[in-house]
Amino acid sequence: MTLSFLRLSAFITLLIGLMVGVPAHAQTKPNAMGAPNEFVQQVADQVLATLKADATVKAGDTARINQIVDELILPYVNFEKTTRLAAGRNWRDATPEQKVALVKAFRGTLSRTYSGAFTRVDAGTAMKTLAFRGDASAADVVVKSQVMQSSNTQPIALDYRLEKTNEGWKIYDLNVENIWLIENYRNQFTQEINKSGIDGLIAALNKRAQ
Amino acid sequence: MNKTSLLRWLSVFTLCALTGCVTTQSGGSANTNDPLEASNRAMFELNETIDRAVFKPVAQAYAFITPQPIRTCIYNIFLNIGDVWSMFNSAIQGRQVDALNTMGRILLNTTAGLGGCLDLASARGAQRIPNDFGVTLGVWGVGAGPYVVLPIVGASTLRDGSGKIVDLYANQVGWGSTVSNIDLRNSLYGLEAVVRREALLDISNVIDRTAIDRYSFIRDAYLKRRSAQIRGPGADAEALPNYEDVETETTDKK
Repeated sequence: MTLSFLRLSAFITLLIGLMVGVPAHAQTKPNAMGAPNEFVQQVADQVLATLKADATVKAGDTARINQIVDELILPYVNFEKTTRLAAGRNWRDATPEQKVALVKAFRGTLSRTYSGAFTRVDAGTAMKTLAFRGDASAADVVVKSQVMQSSNTQPIALDYRLEKTNEGWKIYDLNVENIWLIENYRNQFTQEINKSGIDGLIAALNKRAQ
Repeated sequence: MNKTSLLRWLSVFTLCALTGCVTTQSGGSANTNDPLEASNRAMFELNETIDRAVFKPVAQAYAFITPQPIRTCIYNIFLNIGDVWSMFNSAIQGRQVDALNTMGRILLNTTAGLGGCLDLASARGAQRIPNDFGVTLGVWGVGAGPYVVLPIVGASTLRDGSGKIVDLYANQVGWGSTVSNIDLRNSLYGLEAVVRREALLDISNVIDRTAIDRYSFIRDAYLKRRSAQIRGPGADAEALPNYEDVETETTDKK
């Protein structure tokens, strides 16, 4: 009696685990060819659904967070462009190897911003894109959104800048409360490159990882 | 010398000391907006040391012993009180729509929101429009002047530092007229400082983790945010940064 009860509860736990885990992956893939604001909404919904269903993220599991970033965010981001624009004119002087290393190091740095934000996602967290204003046929657009937390706080303004590529929309810049990501890194990049070269910048970015 | 003129001279002197009337050599950075970089960096380091030793630990202790809903409630109450000054500034900037929106927010949050504890206006999708006298000066056409790091307060400019003195004075009058007990008033000042620092814990941790150079990260973010505030809430779309892409031509050929 006791044994069968234990077995049953273990089975139910497993079943719930599967059910919670499955919906996130069963969702349709974001449509990068569609309207830019719908596309951003789809990407965000998918990430949020996955995060809400995943207890390891709340515990701060870095490996799992990186996996989510790789699978659900990176395919829709042109990270090379982000890095190239942040590097500005210095990008031309970089060797192909340095370019690859710089993109990787910068990506690592920014993943750490995600990990902080991801651990605070709760059941009430939602991101709502605002109605698209501007020229929808343009190749470079801005999608505005608000991030809401359930816990009685004011929404955070979050804007995305996207470009149209052959594979559809790609995000390459973010704006949090009036501050553009690339713009804010430009001075720091230039400063570090002037001081210790592109390799110095790569080293500085990687050093932050520890 | 009567009391008023003494006060005036004292405030001019403090302003001078706070905003750095002494010009120092540039720290050799590529920036033109930061001629006081060397002394600013020294003040920045001092502030960081004080923060690490006092404010951050106190804020963390506060976060540890107080449940999140209560922290949010107290923080919202302080923001709601601050909205009164924001409303006044929006009004004297000629931004009457902003002033009316802020007034509606204050009325709703103070009554139905139980003294500001519940931010019902935000829950209904209305954005808070923070405003202060530094922004007002900017709207009135006063240039930002050099970037200045103030003691304790941190990132500022010559204009915003001057505005800050007016802000602090207004804040003091606000408290002074409502809370006559001096001990209680001073405790509220202290609580406000702790509460505001606690609200910044997450952000300051992100900056610690991601900035290459925290000084320029904070400076650039501060200056961008201030100029966006001066342009006004509706105008941000026109101010898209134009990055010159060194590979534009090659991507076009693909």
